[in-house]
Amino acid sequence: MSTKPKLAEKNGTIKAKELSVWTRAITANSEWPDKDEFLDVIYWSRQVLGIILGIIWGIFPLKGFLGLALFFIINAGILYFYFSNFQCVDEEEYGGPWELTKEGFMTSFAGFLVTWIIIYTGLHYEPDDTL
Amino acid sequence: MWADTLLIVFISICTALLGEGLTWLMVYRTERYQKLKTEVEKQSKKLEKRKETHGDTLDKQQKKKIEREEDRLKHNNRDLSFVKMKSMFAIGFAFTALLGMFNSIFDGRVVARLPFQPLTWIQGLSHRNLPGEDYYDCSFIFLYILCTMSIRQNIQKVLGFAPSRAASKQSNSLFGPAPGQFK
Repeated sequence: MSTKPKLAEKNGTIKAKELSVWTRAITANSEWPDKDEFLDVIYWSRQVLGIILGIIWGIFPLKGFLGLALFFIINAGILYFYFSNFQCVDEEEYGGPWELTKEGFMTSFAGFLVTWIIIYTGLHYEPDDTL
Repeated sequence: MWADTLLIVFISICTALLGEGLTWLMVYRTERYQKLKTEVEKQSKKLEKRKETHGDTLDKQQKKKIEREEDRLKHNNRDLSFVKMKSMFAIGFAFTALLGMFNSIFDGRVVARLPFQPLTWIQGLSHRNLPGEDYYDCSFIFLYILCTMSIRQNIQKVLGFAPSRAASKQSNSLFGPAPGQFK
């Protein structure tokens, strides 16, 4: 008899946990008992952001050092705002803001460069037909 | 020109999948690797926790325990990289041959136009085997490396083959301990 409520309780917590990664990611001040889960959210948001920025920069088109610098500032800035002001996590738990900023940065940068180069080449460059 | 760039993206997706597939066949699915991996992860987490609670302690016994665990972890990490190494060599050779083939297909061909001028030490890569002095031209190898950098890591992450954060953090600190850590 006593197992029923226990089971229900257990199912309840499992369900809450299953629901959560997405919902928690877009809800302010969420709880993150599993550090890796939050780092994954940071990682994947950074990848998506990198590709979106690459597409925008390519369509616009932004060029040169300005494009690269703006990417660094916006990518680091948005994610910094996300984890410090939106989610309000204790940065020290993750080894400081630098560790969180490093998470997935290089991969995101590579993804950004690829999309930027491809879209820019496709939309704004006409090769001369000398070859 | 779009066709070339998309073809390169496609090639790097294929090679990344092929590489991961081969590594899975030769390494990831073996019992030894799985055992070592879970062991390293478990130990890394344990060590991290122990360092957090006893990191600044002057207690000699705790320090000794931490050092002993670090040694064990180091040992397991070495075993793990040894298991990986053999297949890495095989895959490395196969990929060098493949890359050589693609290089000759795209030899001297401008595959894309860069929206920025690369730094001088990258120009050797971004302008490899290309005629002329226009450094905005992009060679096959540069785009391929960029694609691989982003695609391979993401594929590893999606498939769950990427090394866990705790393990890589611990192995980093083992190979380059923070100054004053063992005072």
